[in-house]
Amino acid sequence: MKDPVSQAKAPGLFGLLKKYSLLIGLLIVLTIVANALSLSVPSIISNGIDTYTNGHFLIGRLIVEFSIIAVLIFVFTYLQNIVQVYASERVARDMRNDISAKISVQPYAYIESVTPAKILTNLTSDVDAVKTFVSTAVASLISSVFLLVGTAILLLVANWRLGLVVLAVVPVIGIMFFLILKQVRKLFVKSQEAIDWLNKVISESILGAALIRLLNSRDTESKKFLDANTEAKRISLEILRLFASLIPVITFMTNLATLAIVVLGGRYVITGTMSLGNFTAFNSYLAILIFPIMIIGFMSNVIAQAQASYGRILRVLDAPVEKKTGGLKAVLRGDIEVKNVTVNFGQKDALKNVSLSVAAGSRTAIIGPTAAGKTQLLYLLTGLLAPTSGEIDFDGKDINEYDKSSIHSQVGFVFQDSVMFNLTLRENIAFSNTVKDSSIEKAIETAELRDFVDTLPQKLDTIVSERGTSLSGGQKQRIMLARALALDPKVLLLDDFTARVDANTEKKILANVARNYPGLTLISVTQKISSVEHYDKIVLLMEGEVLAEGTHDELMHSSPEYVQIYQSQRSINQYEMDPHA
Amino acid sequence: MNYSLSKTDMKKEEDKGVLVTAWRRLFPLLAEEGRVVTIALIAILVSSVATLVVPILIARIVDVYLITKDFHGVLVYSAWLFGIFMVGLTASYLQIRTMGGVGRRLLFNLRNKIFTKLQELPVGFFNQNKAGDLISRINNDTDKLNQFFAQALMQFISNVVLIAGTAVFLLAINFELGAIALVPAVLALVATQLLSPWVKRTSLKSLQTLGGMSAEIQESINNFKVIVAFNRLDYFRDKFKESNEANYVASVAAGVASNIFNPIYVLASALAQLAVLALGIYLIAQGHFLIGLLIGYFLYVNNFYTPLRQLASVWPSWQLALAGLDRISEVLALESDLQVMPADTGEAVTVSMAPNAVLEFKEVAFHYQENKDVLRNINFTLERGKTYALVGPTGGGKTTTASLMARLYDPTAGAIYLEGKDIRFYDPAERSKKIGFILQEPFLFTGTVRENILYGNEEHQGYTDQQLMEVLEKAHLTKLLSRFSEGLDTVVASSGDAISLGQKQLIAFIRAALRSPDILILDEATANIDTVTEQLLDEILNELPKSTTKVIIAHRLNTIENADTIFFVNGGEVTHAGSMQQAVDMLLHGKRSS
Repeated sequence: MKDPVSQAKAPGLFGLLKKYSLLIGLLIVLTIVANALSLSVPSIISNGIDTYTNGHFLIGRLIVEFSIIAVLIFVFTYLQNIVQVYASERVARDMRNDISAKISVQPYAYIESVTPAKILTNLTSDVDAVKTFVSTAVASLISSVFLLVGTAILLLVANWRLGLVVLAVVPVIGIMFFLILKQVRKLFVKSQEAIDWLNKVISESILGAALIRLLNSRDTESKKFLDANTEAKRISLEILRLFASLIPVITFMTNLATLAIVVLGGRYVITGTMSLGNFTAFNSYLAILIFPIMIIGFMSNVIAQAQASYGRILRVLDAPVEKKTGGLKAVLRGDIEVKNVTVNFGQKDALKNVSLSVAAGSRTAIIGPTAAGKTQLLYLLTGLLAPTSGEIDFDGKDINEYDKSSIHSQVGFVFQDSVMFNLTLRENIAFSNTVKDSSIEKAIETAELRDFVDTLPQKLDTIVSERGTSLSGGQKQRIMLARALALDPKVLLLDDFTARVDANTEKKILANVARNYPGLTLISVTQKISSVEHYDKIVLLMEGEVLAEGTHDELMHSSPEYVQIYQSQRSINQYEMDPHA
Repeated sequence: MNYSLSKTDMKKEEDKGVLVTAWRRLFPLLAEEGRVVTIALIAILVSSVATLVVPILIARIVDVYLITKDFHGVLVYSAWLFGIFMVGLTASYLQIRTMGGVGRRLLFNLRNKIFTKLQELPVGFFNQNKAGDLISRINNDTDKLNQFFAQALMQFISNVVLIAGTAVFLLAINFELGAIALVPAVLALVATQLLSPWVKRTSLKSLQTLGGMSAEIQESINNFKVIVAFNRLDYFRDKFKESNEANYVASVAAGVASNIFNPIYVLASALAQLAVLALGIYLIAQGHFLIGLLIGYFLYVNNFYTPLRQLASVWPSWQLALAGLDRISEVLALESDLQVMPADTGEAVTVSMAPNAVLEFKEVAFHYQENKDVLRNINFTLERGKTYALVGPTGGGKTTTASLMARLYDPTAGAIYLEGKDIRFYDPAERSKKIGFILQEPFLFTGTVRENILYGNEEHQGYTDQQLMEVLEKAHLTKLLSRFSEGLDTVVASSGDAISLGQKQLIAFIRAALRSPDILILDEATANIDTVTEQLLDEILNELPKSTTKVIIAHRLNTIENADTIFFVNGGEVTHAGSMQQAVDMLLHGKRSS
C-alpha cells in the first residue's frame, strides 16, 4: 500500500478517462440516444401491425415517424462514432506525449535497463491497446448495458411471465462466455508467444541469410521454422475448438428462447392475453438481447488487454525520476579523477575498483583486450552510466554536483558504433542547440570531411539516413567525430576511433585535433599502441581492472602484458607508423 | 538479378476490384483442401437453410394456428422448430470446425511456403531488400494473414452464403416486397463505392504518418545514448511531438471517414424495414399477403442486413489482409537465379587445372547493377595450402571477389572453377564443405555459444561437451573459448549489446575453423579483436592442415604480412601486388575512398 505505483494503478483504465470527462460524457449521451432510437424500431413495427389489425392504421404518419427516426439513427450513430474516434485518438496522442516527456528526463541507464524494445512496445502497441479500449470498449459497454437493461424492461412490460422465461437465457449465456473466454485468454497469451517465436526464426533467417547459405544450413532453419509453425497451428486449433463449441451453443440457447416465445407466447396470443404485435416484438427484441451479451464478453478481452498495457505504461510514467543532480554549471578545465569505481551488471563486475587520474590538457590512452571494460569506463565519464560504487570527479568536484547538460556540452564522445540519424548532414553534425556555424566548419576541417562534403550534391544539407546511403564505415566514423568536435569540447572521448579509419587519415586527423583544439583533454580507447605511444599516459585495462599505467617507456619496462601487446603489433609499426618507409 | 520488391503497396491490384483479387488469390489455396472445403460448404448451406426456414415456420404458426387458436398445431410446429435448431447446432459446429481448420491449415502451409522460398532465394535478394524492411514485411503480412485465415475467411464465406440465401428467400416469398427490401442495400453499396476513395485516401495518409512516427520512435530510442550524450533530448521530444500530432490529425480524419459505413448500413436496414412495413401492410390490405408472413419477413430483413453490416465493418481490415497476401505472393513468385546446374548440360563443366591449383577465376566479370561493373575480366588461380591477402580501398571489390569464391553470387560473365569443376555445378552441401567464409558482419543465433559454433556442422552435432572440448583442444580453439564467462554454455543473442563485436567475431572464427574447410576466407574477420587475441588466431590459422588455402581480407597490415601472395583489388581489377611493400605503396598512394 505504501508503494505509490500500486496506488496509482488502482483507478485503472476508467481513472484515465477522468481527464476526458467532457468528451466521455458526450460519448455516453450520444451512445444512449443512438441506441434508444434503434430500440424504438421494433416497437414502431409492432405498433404498426397492431393498429392495422385494430383497423385504425395511418400509413402516412407511420412513414413520417419512421423516416425521421431512421435519419436520426444515422445522424446519432455517426456522431457517436466520430466522438469515439476523436476521444480515442486524443487519449493516444496525450499518452504518447506523456511517455516521451517522461523518458526524456530519464537517464540512459534507465532506458538500457528497461530496454529500448520495451519502450517501443509501450509507445506503440500498448498505447494502441488503450486506444482500442477507448474507441470500442467504452461505447460498446455503454450501449450493451443500455440495450440489455432496456430490452429487459421492454420485455417485462410487454409480458412479464414470458419476459422472465426469455431473460433466463441471459445468465446461462453469460456464464458460458465467461468460462470459455477465460480459457481462450490463456491460449491467446500462448499463441502470441508462438507468433513471437515464429517471428524470431524469420528475423534470424533473414539477418543470417549469408551465413545460412555459406553453411548450407537451410534444413536446420526449416526445421526450426516447422517446429514453431506447428506449435502456432496447434494452439490456434485449440482456440478454434473452444470457439466451435461456444458460438453454436449460444445460437442454440437463443433458439430455445425463440421456441419459448413461440410456445408460451403462442398460448398467450390464443388465450388473448398478448397481442400479435407484441408477439412480433418479442422475436425482434430477442435478437437485440443476445448481441450485447456477446459484445460484453468480447470486450472483456479488450479490457483485460488494455488494462495490462495501461499497467505497463503507468510503470513508465510513474517510474521515479533520477534524483536531480547538482546545478553546478562551470567551464571545465579537464582534470578528471576516477576514484575506486566499481560497476557491475548482474553478478559480473564490468569494472573492479578502478582508480585513474587524468590531468587537464593531457592525452591518455586506454588499451586492453576485448571485453576489458574500456567502453564502460568512457560511459562513466559522460554520465551515461553511474558507478555502482566509487566516485568520478571533474576538476575536483563530483560529477553529480554538476548540471548534467553542462557536462554533456563540454565532453564530446565519439561512439564505437556509428549512429546516423535520418536528418541532414548538418543536423547530424550540429547535434546540439548551441552549435555555431564556425564550430561546424572547424569540426569538418578537423575530421578531414571537407572533400567528402564537397562531393555531395546538396553539401551539408544532404539527408543521411542510417540505412541505405552510401556512407562507408570510415566516413560515418569521421562524421561521428565531427559531431563531438562541433561542441567545442573541453574533454574528448574516442572509443576505438581507429578501427575503421586508415592509418594515414587517422594521423592527419589527430594532428588537426591537436592544432585546432589546443588544451583539449583527450582520452582514447584503442587497440593500436602505435598511435598512442607518445601520449602522456597509457592505461592497460584487463577484465575490469587497471593492470598498469604510465608512459609508453615506463610500461615497456614494468608491464609484461603491455610488452606482449606491443610485440604483437610491431609489424603494424613498421608499415603504418611511417608510410614512407 | 532483380529481386527488389515493389514499394507500391496495394495500389494497382485494388483497381481491379478487391473481390476479384481475393478470389484469384484464395481459390487455388482452397482447392488444395477440396474434400474438407466441400464438407464445410455443405455445413454452411445446411446451417444457413436451418436459419432461414425458421421465420417461415414462425409465420406459418402465426397465420395458421394462432389465428385459428389451435394450440396443438403450435406444439407440433414447435417440435419441428426444435428439430431444426438441433440440425442448426450440429451444422454450425461442423461449419466452424471445418472452415476454421481449413483456414488454419492454409495459413500453416502458406507460412511454410514463404519460409521455404526465403531459404531458396540467394543472398542478392537480402542485399537488395533491407533486412529491417523485409522482416517487418514478412512478419506483419503473415500476422495479417493469420487474422484473415483464422477469423475473417470463415466469417466472410458464411456471411456471404447467408446474405445470398436470405436474398433468395426474400424475393421468392414475395418478389415486390423482396425487391423493395433490397433497394436500400443497393443504395448502401453504391454509397460505399462512392465513399471508398475518400476512406482509402485518409487511411493511407494515416498509415503513412503512423509509419513516420514509428520510425521516429525507433530511431531515437535505439540511439538514446547519443541523444543523451549530446544533450538533444528536448530536440527529439519536440520532433516526436510533431510527428505524434501529425499522426493524430491523420488518424482522426481516417476514423471519421471509415466510420461512415456503419451508420449507412444501419440507415439502410431501417429504411428496408420501413419499406417492408408500408408495402407489406398495403399488400395485406389488398389480400395479397399474410400478417404472419410479414412478421417472418422482418426476421429475413434482419438476417440480410446484420451480416451485411458486419461485412462492411470488417471490410477495411480484410483489404489490408488481402494486400498482405498480395505482397507475400510477390515474394513467392521470385525465382532464385543461383540454381545448381545439372551435370548433363552442354556447357564446359570442367577445365584442366595445374596440379596444385584449387580455385580459378576465368575471365570473371561482375556487377550488381547494370553498367556499374564491380569486377572486369578477372583471371587468377589460387593454389592449395597457400595464403592470399586481398587489399585495397573500401568499396574496391574485395568482399565481392570473396563472395564470388563462395558462390554467394554468380559472375555476370566468365566462370569460377573449384578443383577443376565449374562452381555452379556443385551441390550446395559439397560446396559449403569445401569453402569456409567468416563474414565481415558476424551473425549469431539466439542461443548458447555451443549451439552457435556447431551451427550447420553435421559432423560434430551429436558430440557431448567432453568430446567437443577434445575436438576444440585439438584445433587449439579452447583458449578462445575462455573469453566467454560460461564457456560453451554462455548465452548469446542475435541482437543487443550483451556481447561485444569482438566476441561475436571470435565465435564466427571458431565456427569456421571447426569445419576445417579446404578454402577458408576471412573478410575483415578480426577488425574488432585486440591484437593479442589476434595473434592467437594467427597461430590457430597456422595449425590448420597444410593443404588449407587461406584468403584474408584485412585492414590492418600485420594480418596480411604472412601472405604468400597479395592481390590489390580496386577499380574493377585484381592485380598482383608483388611484395608487401608494393601493396603498402599502392594503398597509400592510390585513390582512397574510405
